[in-house]
Amino acid sequence: MPARYAKSANSHNTRGRAMAGGPARLEITLKPDLFDAEGAGICRKAADYFGLALESVRTVSILTIDSNLTPDQLEAIRTEIFTNPVAQTSSYKPLTVDFDWVLWVGCRPGVRDNPGSTAEEAVEDLLRIKLKPHEAIYTSKRYCLKGDRLSFDDADRIARELLANNLIQEWKVFSREDWDPETGVGIIIPKVRLDHKPTVTVIPIDSDETLMRVSKERGLALNPNDFPTIRSYFLGEDVVAQRQALGLSAPTDVELEYISQARSDHCNHNTFKGLFHYKDLDTGETQVVDNLFETCIEAPTLTIQKQKSWVVSVLWDNAGVGQFNDDYHYVITGETHNSPSNMEAYGGAITGIVGVYRDPMGTGKGSKLVMGMYGYCVGPRDYQGGLKPHLHPRRLLDGVIEGVRDGGNKSGIPTPYGHVWFHEGYIGKCLVFVTAIGLMPSRIKGEPTEQKTTSPGDLIVMCGGRVGKDGIHGVTASSESFSPHTPAGHVQIGDPYTQKKMHDFLLEARDQGLIAFLTDNGGGGLSSSVGESARFSNGCIVELEKVPLKYKGLDQWEIWVSESQERMTVAVKPEHWEQFAALSRRHAVESTVIGRYTDSGKLQITYDGETCASVDIDFMTSHFPQWTFDAEWTSPEKRGLVEPEFAELDDGSILLLDILARPNICSKEWIIRQYDHEVQGTSVIKPLVGRGRDVNSDAVAIRPVLESLQGLAATQALLPAYSQIDTYHMVACTIDEAVRRVVAVGGDPERIGGVDNFCWPTIQYDSVDNPDGKYKAAQLVRANWALRDICTAYGIPLLSGKDSMYVDGHLKGPDGKTHKVSALPTLQFSCTSVVPDITRCVTMDCKVAGDLVYVLGETKNELGASECYEHFGHVGLHVPELQPKSSMRLYQALSQAIQEELVASCHGIYRGGLGVHLALVAMAGGLGMDIDLSVVPRNEVEQDHVALYSESPGRFIVTINPEHREAFEAFFRTLPHACVGMVLNGTDLVVKGLEGNPVIHVPVSELKAAWKRPFANL
Amino acid sequence: MQEKTHTKTVHVLVLTGFGLNCDYETAYAFELAGAVATRVHINSLISGEHALKDYDILVFDGGFSWGDDHGAGVLEAVRMKSNLGPAILEFIDSGKLVLGICNGFQALVNLGLLPGFGGDYETRQVALTCNDCGSFRDDWVALLSNPDSPCVFTKGATQIELPIRHGEGKLYASPEVINQLANNGQVVLQYSTPNGELAEGRFPLNPNGSVHDIAGICDPTGRVFGLMPHPEAFNHWTNHPDWTRRKESMKRRGEPISSDLTPGVQILKNGVDFIKTGARS
Repeated sequence: MPARYAKSANSHNTRGRAMAGGPARLEITLKPDLFDAEGAGICRKAADYFGLALESVRTVSILTIDSNLTPDQLEAIRTEIFTNPVAQTSSYKPLTVDFDWVLWVGCRPGVRDNPGSTAEEAVEDLLRIKLKPHEAIYTSKRYCLKGDRLSFDDADRIARELLANNLIQEWKVFSREDWDPETGVGIIIPKVRLDHKPTVTVIPIDSDETLMRVSKERGLALNPNDFPTIRSYFLGEDVVAQRQALGLSAPTDVELEYISQARSDHCNHNTFKGLFHYKDLDTGETQVVDNLFETCIEAPTLTIQKQKSWVVSVLWDNAGVGQFNDDYHYVITGETHNSPSNMEAYGGAITGIVGVYRDPMGTGKGSKLVMGMYGYCVGPRDYQGGLKPHLHPRRLLDGVIEGVRDGGNKSGIPTPYGHVWFHEGYIGKCLVFVTAIGLMPSRIKGEPTEQKTTSPGDLIVMCGGRVGKDGIHGVTASSESFSPHTPAGHVQIGDPYTQKKMHDFLLEARDQGLIAFLTDNGGGGLSSSVGESARFSNGCIVELEKVPLKYKGLDQWEIWVSESQERMTVAVKPEHWEQFAALSRRHAVESTVIGRYTDSGKLQITYDGETCASVDIDFMTSHFPQWTFDAEWTSPEKRGLVEPEFAELDDGSILLLDILARPNICSKEWIIRQYDHEVQGTSVIKPLVGRGRDVNSDAVAIRPVLESLQGLAATQALLPAYSQIDTYHMVACTIDEAVRRVVAVGGDPERIGGVDNFCWPTIQYDSVDNPDGKYKAAQLVRANWALRDICTAYGIPLLSGKDSMYVDGHLKGPDGKTHKVSALPTLQFSCTSVVPDITRCVTMDCKVAGDLVYVLGETKNELGASECYEHFGHVGLHVPELQPKSSMRLYQALSQAIQEELVASCHGIYRGGLGVHLALVAMAGGLGMDIDLSVVPRNEVEQDHVALYSESPGRFIVTINPEHREAFEAFFRTLPHACVGMVLNGTDLVVKGLEGNPVIHVPVSELKAAWKRPFANL
Repeated sequence: MQEKTHTKTVHVLVLTGFGLNCDYETAYAFELAGAVATRVHINSLISGEHALKDYDILVFDGGFSWGDDHGAGVLEAVRMKSNLGPAILEFIDSGKLVLGICNGFQALVNLGLLPGFGGDYETRQVALTCNDCGSFRDDWVALLSNPDSPCVFTKGATQIELPIRHGEGKLYASPEVINQLANNGQVVLQYSTPNGELAEGRFPLNPNGSVHDIAGICDPTGRVFGLMPHPEAFNHWTNHPDWTRRKESMKRRGEPISSDLTPGVQILKNGVDFIKTGARS
């Protein structure tokens, strides 16, 4: 009897082929007396997520070996490699493991199978053979489910919603009756067979309509505004003549795909460089805002660069460069990987983190990665609404967490900081932020490391992974909102192992002076890396047939734009090639010369000697029309937002306990501890601090140069809730929070670098699809104004940044109709700061009973869009507003007090306000506190709940040794500050109200329990 | 560094390549411990560019060799055994030291260098398998050091705190093997409470479900040592999770901050000193 297929394995199923001399299938499982942790995890999730009671799950690993190995060879690899004699049993026949249902899950053809590749490597090593190009090893898994009340549908659901994602995997469900103990799951070989002869297609451009049709058919996502420019270029007399000489006529698909990639919003930032007609509907005032990138990002950063000599290299390379000390620079960038993660959470996230690591790696002549950070914005974990996202937020978050975990940990890069934000707006499309920090020696062989160039004659070398169909049209797909038609082809699985080898290799090549230019192959693949690097020499010729492929049959344009991961493009001088290639071999990294740089003014591509593309190098940087947007702003008052009526608290303790347990406030230790935050031995301030080592630090600090006591502090912030009122203040408060976070651990406020990551819903107005597009465009303009204003006021250069538009999703609802869900406009702001002496860093936990507790900065009536209002279902009106000038003076004073070692603990007051953050300081110290709200520096605050839960920016909680009182206060004479209480030897947090009334009296242990409870079982 | 003329220079080989990732800090920590440490790519050792015999201590350092696919440390062991098996046995035989940290420990048990009962350095008898908690975990753990162990690296140590960072650190072996390890004093480190009592399997004190709370074992000679925790990641006093708290209380007592070697580096120094002083004889 055939198995009941949930998804057919169709032509790849070669069941029935003889074992001898043909493919073999090895099954491996833990010995029965060993606890199966993976199986236990599946049981737990099946119960938690679906209410399904499983008795047990045992997992069986399957290797399908598509090669002609002899029985002796098969036995050798079974015993020597793939079976641990202590813990495992294995067999080339199906193992007997008790079950009620068997689930088999394997990769679809062409999906990256990392363990399959390492298995091939090990087999070749042990047997001293070389597998032939058509031979391969594939991995898959069999899950043996026990549960007597489990139905087929239950089992299928576990496969579909827990174990497999149909975009990249297929699965089968076997009942006991289905199962044939001789054939087991069958022999399934997910081999890619294309049977296709690479073909260059010429595309007619006789009219805009034709181009439109072709763009749609090919999924090019070309902007119709660009059509006239493209057509007039290819129809120009000179160009036609030049092309004729090369045997070209109308543009080829290689050329149009190249243009599409280069012109995508992802690569070209068309939105941020657009022309905005901004109108304030309250006042009727209008203004034209030309190019947000130039006016709000580039110009302020260049001005600051002139003032601050530590700003080494910004705005042109893969990442920004700041000076660390005389001998080293640090390198930082931030990326998002939203669309891929939304469809395949694990694959999208691991590809995101591994991908962003290639940015510092490819900055200047290369840097060593020293830290990663993460930010996830997802729908509520317990979402039970009627909309049907591709992945439930819970599953999506699980996958994203695991993807970044494997990508970071296996790269050997600490991932010490990150955050998660839940909101229903992210059900349409989740946000996955990944930030990477690297370190480079300031000079290599006497030359500045941050500089690089290509010169005519340099070899174009592709290093790392091979090219396949994966990742084609990733860039153009992320430039559109998610719909059921989004091509799944751009879902990839990152391979940190291959990349780590390449990373080690490139650093050695750099130190030997073998790298003239280096950049990564990310969005747009070779088209982007070669296209951009060829601008320096002013030309290149690429021989596409030389590009190593995963399998035959790719069209030329596919080779050119494929985003297959783990690749870098390097310019190597011909005289260095031999040494470079030898080093590459030692590191087991593939490096291939695929062309050379020229000064012809042309990007020329050939395939087997025939030219298939020839485009002017400067074509991409000129000629194209600016995108235009209408932006209309309506004030929050006119939008109908009001302050809610709010009675005074009955029981302040209960409210505090409730707010501490809210998903966006509570402990997320379960994520943090899955991330290696100490590899490289550099950890100074960890993500979790305090007596119990379990409360979140404001920021982290590392000692990236082990021989030096200088440190680097880093952190991130996001506050999308404030966008409901005004994105200007959302951005201002987000930047301020990130700044306070690095200052709180001992970062130098004069040496703060920023990274802006915008994630915005579509802003192009459409009366049907996007009726509030003009408002969203105005939100974007205001956000940029705040970015400009605050960075200028604080003196923060934007070392790097990224804008991700189209954060919308179209989801099926219970009514069967499609509903559009737009995310809240979101900015993640990351900050770094150099720490002059790590031994002066401070943590946020109160340390000694009897210490004085200070609040620095002013509390105002600013509960708009606060956690407290959200708790009661309000938005409100009074959004927190930043006073950047006075705030910076306060931070400078605080920083000096920290440097003088007058501060025992320091913690910013962020989301949740004074109440939440006093509780965190007490929880971290494991000590009580006695606090008097009436002395808290404040302005128009007349109710206890306002004092406790207002989210006014610019504030800190500091505890000090009473002996330092005078010296400490001397720093703050003209600044808002007050001693508001004392750290207690007792166990309780006690807060007196504005009138001396009791407001909160609760054991600190109870606060901590409430804060830890929501995700305690994960 | 000044070097006394009569002391031997100790050469440490720290493996790199194929996904290993603790090579820099391991080499750094060994230098703090007084050795000359060299990071050597596994392929450079295989090709003969570097020879094992020129070194005194061979370190299988931490990382994700071959992505930890097919069992952590398994493929590293295959590569080392099939290319360098005899040279490694000779290295041990000549009285030198082998240290395996985390992924390196996993490689040592898969090579069969541990437990090394009766001088058999080729049979796999111990497994390091998936944590019972089901995931990778980063945390600091308290460890009890066995004073009766022959392990040269832990001489004089009683209680140590070190970070663990692994997904496959659960030590598993048959009861006979565990007994033999215990009887021979080969159980070097065990997970414990901060007060020095055995963790007795309690999570997160015992972070992975290791049988008998075992965190590190040595061979019968005490010269081959493997452990899951990372001594090299405690190379400076600011690595310790409590350092800001300790600093504050010492400051209040008017005591200076200790600039002694950390307990992590001390473990490595014990190995270096063993070679330096020729204690092997």
